[in-house]
Amino acid sequence: MKSPDSLPPASPPPGEDPLRPHTYDGIQEYDKRLPNWWLLTFYATIVFWIGYWMYFQQSGLSTSDGAKIDRHLAQVEAQKLAANAAFDDASLWKMSRNAVFVDAGRATFNATCASCHHATLTGGIGPSLVDAVWVHGGQPTQMLKVVNEGVLTKGMPAWGPILGPKKVSEVLAFILSHHTPPADVALAAK
Amino acid sequence: MSDQKISITYNDRVVRQFLLATMLWGIVGMLVGVLVASQLNFWRLNFNLPWLTFGRLRPLHTNAVIFAFVGNMMFAGVYYSTQRLVKARLASDFLSSLHFWGWQAIIVAAAITLPLGFTRGKEYAELIWPINIAVALIWVVFAVNFFWTLARRNEPSLYVAIWFYIATIITVAMLYIVNHLSIPTSLLHSYPVFGGVQDALVQWWYGHNAVAFFLTTPILGIMYYFLPKAAERPVYSYRLSVIHFWSLVFVYIWAGPHHLLNTALPNWLQVLGMTFSLMLWAPSWGGMLNGLLTLRGAWHKLRTDPVLKFFAAAVTFYGMATFEGPLLSIKSVNALAHYSDWIIGHVHSGALGWNGFMAAGMIYWLLPRLWNRPLHSVGLANLHFWLGTVGILLYVAAMWTSGITQGLMLNATTEGGSVLAYPNFLDTLNTIRPMMLMRVIGGGLYLVGFLIMAYNLVRTIRGAQPVDGTIEVFARSAVPAEERLGAAATLFNPPVVFSALGTLFACVWMFGGPGLQIVGLFGGAISAILAVAHFATRGTRWAGWHERLLVSAASFTVLTFVAVAAGGLIQIIPTVVVNKAQNMEDRIAVPYTPLELAGRDIYVREGCYNCHSQMIRTMVPDVLRYGDYSRMGESLFDHPFQWGSRRSGPDLARVGGKYNAAWHFVHMADPRATSPGSNMPAYPWLYTNRTDVASLYGKLNVQRMLAVPYPAMSPAEVQANVAAQAKTIAEELKVTQQLTAPDREIVALIAYLQRLGKYETVAPRTAALKP
Repeated sequence: MKSPDSLPPASPPPGEDPLRPHTYDGIQEYDKRLPNWWLLTFYATIVFWIGYWMYFQQSGLSTSDGAKIDRHLAQVEAQKLAANAAFDDASLWKMSRNAVFVDAGRATFNATCASCHHATLTGGIGPSLVDAVWVHGGQPTQMLKVVNEGVLTKGMPAWGPILGPKKVSEVLAFILSHHTPPADVALAAK
Repeated sequence: MSDQKISITYNDRVVRQFLLATMLWGIVGMLVGVLVASQLNFWRLNFNLPWLTFGRLRPLHTNAVIFAFVGNMMFAGVYYSTQRLVKARLASDFLSSLHFWGWQAIIVAAAITLPLGFTRGKEYAELIWPINIAVALIWVVFAVNFFWTLARRNEPSLYVAIWFYIATIITVAMLYIVNHLSIPTSLLHSYPVFGGVQDALVQWWYGHNAVAFFLTTPILGIMYYFLPKAAERPVYSYRLSVIHFWSLVFVYIWAGPHHLLNTALPNWLQVLGMTFSLMLWAPSWGGMLNGLLTLRGAWHKLRTDPVLKFFAAAVTFYGMATFEGPLLSIKSVNALAHYSDWIIGHVHSGALGWNGFMAAGMIYWLLPRLWNRPLHSVGLANLHFWLGTVGILLYVAAMWTSGITQGLMLNATTEGGSVLAYPNFLDTLNTIRPMMLMRVIGGGLYLVGFLIMAYNLVRTIRGAQPVDGTIEVFARSAVPAEERLGAAATLFNPPVVFSALGTLFACVWMFGGPGLQIVGLFGGAISAILAVAHFATRGTRWAGWHERLLVSAASFTVLTFVAVAAGGLIQIIPTVVVNKAQNMEDRIAVPYTPLELAGRDIYVREGCYNCHSQMIRTMVPDVLRYGDYSRMGESLFDHPFQWGSRRSGPDLARVGGKYNAAWHFVHMADPRATSPGSNMPAYPWLYTNRTDVASLYGKLNVQRMLAVPYPAMSPAEVQANVAAQAKTIAEELKVTQQLTAPDREIVALIAYLQRLGKYETVAPRTAALKP
């Protein structure tokens, strides 16, 4: 780049760069060239802006944020559907007799569910889980549905999307471990 | 030009006043900062008192540091340096005093109203409308005093520091007024005229540029005066000053939307916010380079001079923060960092490192000169420097670690990306607790440094004689007309014409249809080539024109205003036009019932937005944790918007109906009863205060003026409506033995919380609101 200096430089001390003629309250100014790396950085960011805008706003090659996340969420849902299909009443009862599942479920229950159902499962803000009353059905798969999808009108959140099928099934195993399986399942479990 | 020699005594009294106010409010602001940081660690420090809770004190901290500490520091530095740079006493002693006392009165008013819960609910714009008017008026006093002084100057040409002061004064006025447009409902309360996404855009156009034009440009001006003075070295490059000044003021304004990345903000604005933030990197570093390279040949003085130590460290922190800013503006980086402590660390490396250290350096330099006595102790000043530096490093490192850790945990998924790895938000909060504690220690050290400076200051000036600077100058009547630029020469000259052409073609390219895009792109390219060719052959004319601009203060001011206004107009006007109910696609908000509106006002009063966002981003982990991503129409009627900027607690955009009323009732009284490990304050007063129903009629009228589709209701109908909904909630609570009178504030707040996330689905382009 050519120097745009139009003003004659003040005579600087020998070996020093030229100073601008003006001083302000004793402050003097050099008029050094702009560093090349600095200029290149500036130009590069401008070129990036042009390229980025063209790709995301004009080329038609990019997908919108909305479309992108909708596709991701469809994949997530497909995975969950596949995982949930594996649970039936018998397998859930079986899990409730398995210490590994029950212990894992207890940890999740205490962190997530105990604030409403209490650590002893005797209820509080939410109903008791150790009595014989099941407001939304007492079959393990029915209970699984309640945990997964919630009962929004009663203030039970849908935990499926947050905890995922593995943790939900463990929690269910923990709850069921406080109950006795029906005779046919109990026999099969042995 | 006359050759009569006159003697001028500067008005250094007002400089001393502002300097002492800087010291006082700096310590107050930092003390509140240490308190709120401690509250995040120990919830009991909220003391169960409304006026001491985090949500009300955090705005006090931010406002005190920005407007009281940096504000007073800026006025001291601007007034001291301007008088000397233009060789004239401040134009009016009365205006100078009015400026000082008016500003202190505003600060006191803010310090009283914010803890009492009087707020507009927008960050760094919380002050209520009567104080807003006072701020605008005092700012005008500042502007008049400043420009009047310029008009009486005995130094024709404007030094680079003055350029930055001019940019500061006009831009802050523009930003402040637009973002504070409100319609009052009472003496203490108002609703902002903008709502939803539009309010978000205006807010962050303001918020981002408050950082730019309140915390950066005036301090750059101060750097350009005090740093070469202290180093006794010439400024590195005038040419760099010119380029980085104009590019900084032009580009900064566009970058506001980077506070809203991955949200419901239209994508084109997000792209502008991100790309202009990247373009801002070099202009910002221009200032850092000019500061650091001015120290060439003076580095050895850093060993002995605490002033230069502070300046060198401040400019280094400025460079660090202005590199980090563009980095955080990259959408994918922002997906991790937004709503996390990383952002808090970023602003504090600016506020503590750049602003705080520039203030300290300036004060140590000014004290001996304003009171005519050497600094009491250079050793204590050095101790201050090292305590402050270690404090900042602890603070910033803790926030980096904390932000990245929590961001990674919140975004982590397992089981093939379908399930959150840490579904319990509190797990992520409790992981970063050691870092939050480290932040208190770092901030505490920094505060101790300032206390040492206050001691040093008192010992220096006690018994000392204040002294005002004087100078003998040749008075000059005016700049000869042929040297100044006329209106035509201001606008029609190579630099301005090529810049205007470039901007115009860039807009045609960005916003035009397929045909116009090509025109814009080619036009822009040709303009750029012509500009380069013209500069290469006739560069002296460009330089000569800028020299003439520097003796024409009015022309300089007009061009600066044009440069700063462009970006805002291009971003905000289309949004204002489009953000209407009939333009919403997909989903549209349902207006709040009167009781819900009362609850929302309580939510705003308590400053819930300081810890809770209401914006689920277009990111899988956000959707898995909080529900479907937020749409633009869902916050259409929110005056003010409450999207938030930091998630110390979870997002609340869809919390409505997630729990029952009883859960909220227990939670607000004792957050740890439902959420073990929470650091949220308790709100016992909500259970005794009665909901303010009387003001609702007037508030609904204002909402209707703001195009929120409320049907006409008489005061009696409003009351009946409120009573009916409150009764339903109280009865629902009774089922689980949570007993409360329906007229308590907790009932209104529960009504608001339980409706968050409610919307109507609309078909594209046919949205019509049922009354």
